[in-house]
Amino acid sequence: MPGDTVVIAGIVQRRADPAEIARGEYRVRLHLDHLQSLLGYGDRVDRFAVGTRGAAATADALSRINSAAYGFRAHRSADIAVETSRTFAVVSRFHRAIGVITIVASAIFLLCIMLLKVDERRRDVAALRLIGCSTRTIVGSVVLEAAAVAVLGSIAGVGVGAAASWIVNQHYQGVYRTPLRFSIVTGDIVLLAVALSLVLGIAAGWLAARRLVRTPPLALFGR
Amino acid sequence: MIITLALASLVRHRARTVLAILGVAVSAAMLLDMVMLSSGMRESFRGLLLSQGFQLRLSPKGTLPFDTEATIRSADSIVALIRARPTVEAVSPVLGGQLHFPLAESMANATALGVEPAVQGDYELVEGRHPSAENELVANDALLRALGRSVGDTIRAAAGYDPQLRTLSGQRVLRIVGRVRFIYLALEQRAAALPIGTLRAMNGPTSIDRASLAMVRLRPGADVEQERTALERQLRTVTVISTAAALKQVDERLSYFRQLAVILGAVSLVVGFLLVTTLVTVSVNERLGEISVMRAIGVRRWRVVAQILLESTVIMIVAAPLGLALGLVTARWLNSILARFPGLPERIDFFLFQPSAAWTALGLLALSGILAGVYPSWRGASLPIASTLRQEAVG
Repeated sequence: MPGDTVVIAGIVQRRADPAEIARGEYRVRLHLDHLQSLLGYGDRVDRFAVGTRGAAATADALSRINSAAYGFRAHRSADIAVETSRTFAVVSRFHRAIGVITIVASAIFLLCIMLLKVDERRRDVAALRLIGCSTRTIVGSVVLEAAAVAVLGSIAGVGVGAAASWIVNQHYQGVYRTPLRFSIVTGDIVLLAVALSLVLGIAAGWLAARRLVRTPPLALFGR
Repeated sequence: MIITLALASLVRHRARTVLAILGVAVSAAMLLDMVMLSSGMRESFRGLLLSQGFQLRLSPKGTLPFDTEATIRSADSIVALIRARPTVEAVSPVLGGQLHFPLAESMANATALGVEPAVQGDYELVEGRHPSAENELVANDALLRALGRSVGDTIRAAAGYDPQLRTLSGQRVLRIVGRVRFIYLALEQRAAALPIGTLRAMNGPTSIDRASLAMVRLRPGADVEQERTALERQLRTVTVISTAAALKQVDERLSYFRQLAVILGAVSLVVGFLLVTTLVTVSVNERLGEISVMRAIGVRRWRVVAQILLESTVIMIVAAPLGLALGLVTARWLNSILARFPGLPERIDFFLFQPSAAWTALGLLALSGILAGVYPSWRGASLPIASTLRQEAVG
């Protein structure tokens, strides 16, 4: 009956759900027939959850329910998850876009730094050229140095990234009172960051070194 | 002389200067985007809420408008009571629901809004007219496309549908009298509006004298907060929400984007600052002899400082317009990504351009440029002249 008095039998905690972040909704659980009676819903439910044994059984159950049932449809939980996680797909695309901008900025920054670093060695390069070192050897040594700088920078970057990720998780877990992890540093991400940094570093070093070896040695000495 | 020397120094290393300008431009673009993001959503939402002039919204006690399926009881008497207040200019009750349109092979569903067309603030008319008779409705493009109908056509609609028995309840034949754009609904969301009395009658006894929401427009000069408190005190079954309270809710739900904007904006500024500091420092290191000669022939310390500060500021100033233009382009791109949020009203912009945002970004960049030159200029100006000259001469 509407207006029933109920006894609070327990306090429950749902598994962390990203869809409920920042919503602050109150939730109660009660017996199905009690809720049906309270809502005047009759013998109705919004949905059934069906457990199956393996992927083949799921496909079989899906096709049998959909061909036999009249008035409702069965869906794979995975399909529903895709549909209900559209918000997170948008956020993920946004993060990727921000990532692209960050990579462009980092690439320019790295190119600048490598250019400066190689420029600092003008006199060394000029001396090497004058004593007969080939341009290939010089370019190779500069590229090797650039790669070493990129690797060391990447290692430091991974450390800073992991620390930042920890701070972000601590902050947002506190703000939204959830055990959800907002930022995860995975092996794939580390690999991508290191690979990108290495490629950009080597490319920047190579460009800067090529520029240097094309300049006459005496001009590099400022003569 | 200061300007000539600063420009000469920048032109001497063209590649370096161009890269620095590009780097700062990307940082400036990111900074502008983040300044736009931090305030854009809020301002855009405020504009949306106030676009029709309604400052207060009444929803069932303890709920936000359309956040649940709860409705306000005795809605007509509540609306009459509010309309009687001298400070109130208009009240627009709204009942939310669903309409089902049987098609040849399938069923099209749409969001239905029961409104009083004379005072409604939920849609803008694009074509045709407002529904004036009982069996008339207006629909948006998404629904008209799904139905394959246009203004002037009639369509059978039902308020209820039992999928197991495939039976419709609350059926009516309605005439489409207008094509509209719903202000608070997503672009792709199929929706129709019809007189509130018609939707209540179609829904049956459960909807008699009910409304999901009532929007209140106050007369000019009325104190919104005072009215909100008075209405909430007078009407015990409703929650009265002002635009400020609604914005607070939005702030809470979207605090993630605001914080992200602050963090990324700060990182962009630091990256730009570091880039310029590094370049100018290296440039100063390469010119130690030149600076010492200038000091030896009597150029004053402050002139050296001014010249180096000018170099960093010029990089920032040249990069700023480029960065602002780039920022506007990337803001459009990022906005188009976030506009795909399910259910987001068409008019909401995450990246709203406001002149204040551009000025803030410019101001921060200029400050950052000046600060970036502080260390190298201090280094240049405090060089021991004699020993530096000797060191440079010996080589």
